[in-house]
Amino acid sequence: MHTGLVRVSLALAWSASLLAWGQGAPRNSMDFPSSATGQLTKVPEGVVLVKGARPSASDSVTPVPEGGSITDKVFTNKYFAMTYSLPPDWTQKYEGPPPSDSGRYVLAQFSPADTYKGPIRGNILITAEDLFFTPLPTANAVDLINYEKDNLQADYKVELPPTQTKIADRSFTFFAYWSPVAQLHWYVLATEMRCHALQIVLSSRDTKLLENSMRDLNKMKLPPAANASTDVVGGAVPVCLRDYASDENVIARVNPVFTERRSNPVPVRIIIDKEGKIKHIHFLSAFPDQAKAITDALAQWRFKRFLRDGQPVEVETGIMFGRVSQPPGHPVENAATQ
Amino acid sequence: MIKREKLTSALTIAVLFFAGIAFAQTDPGVQSASRGTGVTIINPSDDPNGFTAFFNDGLVRFQEVETVSGSANVGLGPRFNSNQCSSCHAQPAVGGTGPAVNPQFLFTSNGVAPGNTMPSFITANGPTREARFPFGFNSNGSVNTNVIIGGVEALFTVTGRSDAGTCNSATALPQPSFALAVEENNVIFRIPTPVFGAGLIENLDDSTLLKNQVTNLKNNFGITGTFNHNGNDGTIARFGWKAQNKSLHLFTGEAYNVEMGITNEVFQNERPLPGEDGNGGSGDTGLVASCLNLAGIGYPEDRSNPNSTPNAAVLDDVSAFSNFMRFLAPPIQGGVVLNGQQVSAQSISTGSALFSSIGCATCHNPTPGTTQQSNFAPALSNAPVNAFSDIEIHTMGTTLADNVSQGGAGGDQFRTAPLWGLGQRIFLLHDGRTTNLITAIQDHASKGSEANTVIENFNSLSTAQQQEVLNFLRSL
Repeated sequence: MHTGLVRVSLALAWSASLLAWGQGAPRNSMDFPSSATGQLTKVPEGVVLVKGARPSASDSVTPVPEGGSITDKVFTNKYFAMTYSLPPDWTQKYEGPPPSDSGRYVLAQFSPADTYKGPIRGNILITAEDLFFTPLPTANAVDLINYEKDNLQADYKVELPPTQTKIADRSFTFFAYWSPVAQLHWYVLATEMRCHALQIVLSSRDTKLLENSMRDLNKMKLPPAANASTDVVGGAVPVCLRDYASDENVIARVNPVFTERRSNPVPVRIIIDKEGKIKHIHFLSAFPDQAKAITDALAQWRFKRFLRDGQPVEVETGIMFGRVSQPPGHPVENAATQ
Repeated sequence: MIKREKLTSALTIAVLFFAGIAFAQTDPGVQSASRGTGVTIINPSDDPNGFTAFFNDGLVRFQEVETVSGSANVGLGPRFNSNQCSSCHAQPAVGGTGPAVNPQFLFTSNGVAPGNTMPSFITANGPTREARFPFGFNSNGSVNTNVIIGGVEALFTVTGRSDAGTCNSATALPQPSFALAVEENNVIFRIPTPVFGAGLIENLDDSTLLKNQVTNLKNNFGITGTFNHNGNDGTIARFGWKAQNKSLHLFTGEAYNVEMGITNEVFQNERPLPGEDGNGGSGDTGLVASCLNLAGIGYPEDRSNPNSTPNAAVLDDVSAFSNFMRFLAPPIQGGVVLNGQQVSAQSISTGSALFSSIGCATCHNPTPGTTQQSNFAPALSNAPVNAFSDIEIHTMGTTLADNVSQGGAGGDQFRTAPLWGLGQRIFLLHDGRTTNLITAIQDHASKGSEANTVIENFNSLSTAQQQEVLNFLRSL
């Protein structure tokens, strides 16, 4: 284990952020994709106009996980209530891919800018694994890190087994490994937020750079965990509950009618209001015709009200439509329809 | 004395300069030493069903030159990209990818397509290509991105050929507007995918690929692939740049129809170009009558031959081609020569480990699985598929995106290209845009790509380590 790891880990345990809490505009409009791209004399370079399954949402106001933005070197993700100041000379060179149909998000990826003068490069990758939909055998962030450790590829060596630490008053599981042949080190931090495993992966050949990056994470602003059992963020967001769209909670259900036969999984996150009606739909990955059919169907769904301390509260849950891409034998727990 | 100091200084600079060149990473380039590629995977002494004869028959037919009419091999056109499978699937052996000298470039001068204009993107030593227009055009010639097309625009017509019969009017059968499409950035290209080892990929069960997909998910590179599916039965499709084709039979039948204009038992009708087919309200009603049934034998132009002998001759061409590809052995890994020097086995081994460590192997899986039992030949049973591909489709960013959707794959999604045989490929990436491995690697990174973190890892390696990765890749 690298000698700096314990020191950094301990330092993180008591650190607090002094940065202002800021929220930027969503990175992209998450309304249903429009086909009105207009008439052009030339096809523009560097633009993907013909898209496959993509994320979309029923409104552009409610934050979605992929809706982060960078303003003045500060990364903000409203959905996770996360704010992170990039290290000096670092930048997000490229946005990452859209959310996958297995529930993985690349929220941000940072690396030294081309103007960076340092000899050694590094990378910061922030991802989220939707725990409603992940095919990995994990129910929480600790599981996820343990699974990674237990299934580490043969050419990696563990530097620090999974251990608990704190960043910005939140519990993180910290795990470090390295590749002797590539001389690359990875520091992995994971916490659970809104039923996602949020991961921050730092990688570099330079462990000093990694330690500095770890310390920089102290400046990150994250909401404290409000409830250890469900690990929801504060009280301003819905309670996230896996499998809430089960028969015992659904009063009225109408299955979507797809006009085109497709074979992709369509993971959908919904927010149910205090009256049991769906107030927000977020498609992680869907073709527009699928999103339309599911939206039409979900408008007719009614749920039992969910009570906490005797009061109705909003619930966030997940439903997998379309084809469920799971290996044989894997339990499909979220599928409301096939 | 001053002069001597200046000279010393200049020499020092020169030494540093040339040292810099010597230590810059270099693509070893196409490996010319024979690796035995192009033979059958079947062991003739363990071939209980007799498919060796079918492989050999398919190999012969794969190299036959097709004509429009009046020969033993008719049906070419009325539109086509080439007249022979092996003209494009040639490097380093029959069944491979595009050769160093592009046969398409000669078609307007050697009688294959005499009434045609050579498109600017077909060059003497460039890649063999097919072209697609992602979008339609307005009547004034500007691009209309609301009209999504993406189908193959065949490069050539039979116009001007002596065997073209009634189809000899460039007005009735014009070439697509390639110059306009180039000018307006509304054309993309595809190069031939090599088909070595294709029978092994075909024989991977879906469950094997699905389990492998979950295994691939345990990465910290931000990578998650998905599969393209066959629209009819919903199973995993696996052939073509976007994994749009389910089986070798389908892949071949489509190619025979689209690339050579030969109707067959899978695709029985002549194919109008996109825009010629009336879709989108153009008012066009397909190919002109004077360009139909040019072989004079009716449809399909390729069919099985019940009265022929031996057994293999009974098959239609599409079945014969499929058998050839199915039983074509995978490429064999070989030694690498860099700047005239043999690269050490240690360098290649280290390159392999680096390839895995930095995350390339998360998608380019050395072995995505083992085949199921084969009812064709024992050689295809329970065999590891060392394809260096997960057969999944991945979002690859704006630099590689081609704005063509096929099946469930969008305009920026591509199948992980199998890397077996890479050491002897000339043209790289789906459109053959480069012959340099370094460019091909760097083009994996751009806005929206799953590979960005992995490319950042590659860039973080030392020059010597990057060289070892390149050496390894050219050993495949």
